[in-house]
Amino acid sequence: MAELTSFGYFAGDSLLHNLDPRFKLLYIIAFSLICLNMNFLSLIIMSVLLSGLIIYARLPVGSGFKELRYFFVLLVFVFMARVLSTDGGSLIDFKFFSISSQGLYAGLLVCGRLAFIVVLGFTLISTTRPSEIKAAVQWFLKPVPFIPEQKVAVMLGLILRFVPVIFDQAAETGQAQKARCVQNRKNPVYRLIKLGFPLMRRTFERADDLVAAMEARGFTENRTDPELTAHPRDWLALLVVTCLCIAVIIW
Amino acid sequence: MNIIEIENLTHRFADGTIGIEGINLAIRQGSFVVIAGHNGSGKTTLLRHLNGLLLPSDGVVRLAGKRVEEDLLKARQFVGMMFQDADSQIVGETVYEDVAFGPENLCLERAAIQKRVNSALRVVGLQDLADQRPHLLSGGEKRRLAIAGVLAMEPRVIVFDEPFASLDYPGVKQVLQQILDLHRSGHTIVATTHDLEKIIAHADRLIIMQGGKIVRDGGPAEIVGHLEAFGVREPCAYRLGLEAESWLN
Repeated sequence: MAELTSFGYFAGDSLLHNLDPRFKLLYIIAFSLICLNMNFLSLIIMSVLLSGLIIYARLPVGSGFKELRYFFVLLVFVFMARVLSTDGGSLIDFKFFSISSQGLYAGLLVCGRLAFIVVLGFTLISTTRPSEIKAAVQWFLKPVPFIPEQKVAVMLGLILRFVPVIFDQAAETGQAQKARCVQNRKNPVYRLIKLGFPLMRRTFERADDLVAAMEARGFTENRTDPELTAHPRDWLALLVVTCLCIAVIIW
Repeated sequence: MNIIEIENLTHRFADGTIGIEGINLAIRQGSFVVIAGHNGSGKTTLLRHLNGLLLPSDGVVRLAGKRVEEDLLKARQFVGMMFQDADSQIVGETVYEDVAFGPENLCLERAAIQKRVNSALRVVGLQDLADQRPHLLSGGEKRRLAIAGVLAMEPRVIVFDEPFASLDYPGVKQVLQQILDLHRSGHTIVATTHDLEKIIAHADRLIIMQGGKIVRDGGPAEIVGHLEAFGVREPCAYRLGLEAESWLN
């Protein structure tokens, strides 16, 4: 389960770790939105600031980037698609392909924006306990009508709790089938079916057991709310974030 | 005083099969009862009636004189239940949060929840692992965490469904020690098992079930000789004509 543990909460005592999770969610939403309006220079400045924060919070940059390696492959495809589909003054011509400076600029900008948002997400996940994120989501959903925020929060928590268990179960089922030479069957659909059905059956059985266990502990939607307290540092950080957002929009 | 009273309890499943039939049982406060029987004999179905997870098709279950269905939440607080698979019972993302799940359902104040959680973690010796993810705990630790989750509800009766299933020797010893400590602190213990070897030395009453019915009920030494007739292996010590010895010795 190493792949699930390295891209998760990383204990620490930095300002980022100690900020109220509701404010952190607000910041990430604000930055993700203004990211759509960022030009190249403001993207570089914001990226430098974000990198500074990540280094200051001593986050595991190496393992974080390792986990994001497939995302970077995706970025390469996005870059290529953007470069090849943007018209402009031709820079390089090769057979049917033509690469323009506008295309290069647009490709880099889109990839930069996407990478910025994902690294923001990495920073949030690394510095915030899953229970804090759950509590913040519950708090934001409270005024929204027709959405049972307590239920949503419990569901979020259960997903976080049971994803590793399901992965373990999949690994165990996979190994049991390997022990019976499933690799000799080359048809991937056959192998998928043979893995998927027992895994789903076991997962549903587990879900049944879980329901009984939760009822046995008196589960109800009317539960004690999580405790969240805003400090002056959260409001100060909000002020800084607002100023940065305004600066980016005006620029 | 009887803390649990069951009269003529029958449970029929939705497909018409009988889970348990005509059960009459009274359990004294502070006793240590072991229910034995082979797979499918109705042990788990009986246990699930004690806190209203299953409701009777016929008959009555009373906890300290009150019918279970009168107040299900109270019944679930009164009878804490440990399931066979600890992994399915643990719902929190961290050890602390899992133990807090029950008290949060009781809508307690944060300070009271913290007090109960810390106390339960101390009792099972997991206070240093409060921030650990449950997924990374050993089998014995997971079982102890499940016990802490139950303890935080402050129950008077604790019910264990196959408490030693798939545990190694150190795990069995840890869980057994925990069960004995809970019994000593005044809790009524009811445990089901088909493997009596590990627990029989501590029980003061043994019940054998077969086909959804209670077929023998009495002191362990009196009825242990009947076990094999009902598909449960007689503990080794009794076969050799000795007294049962604790796994903690």
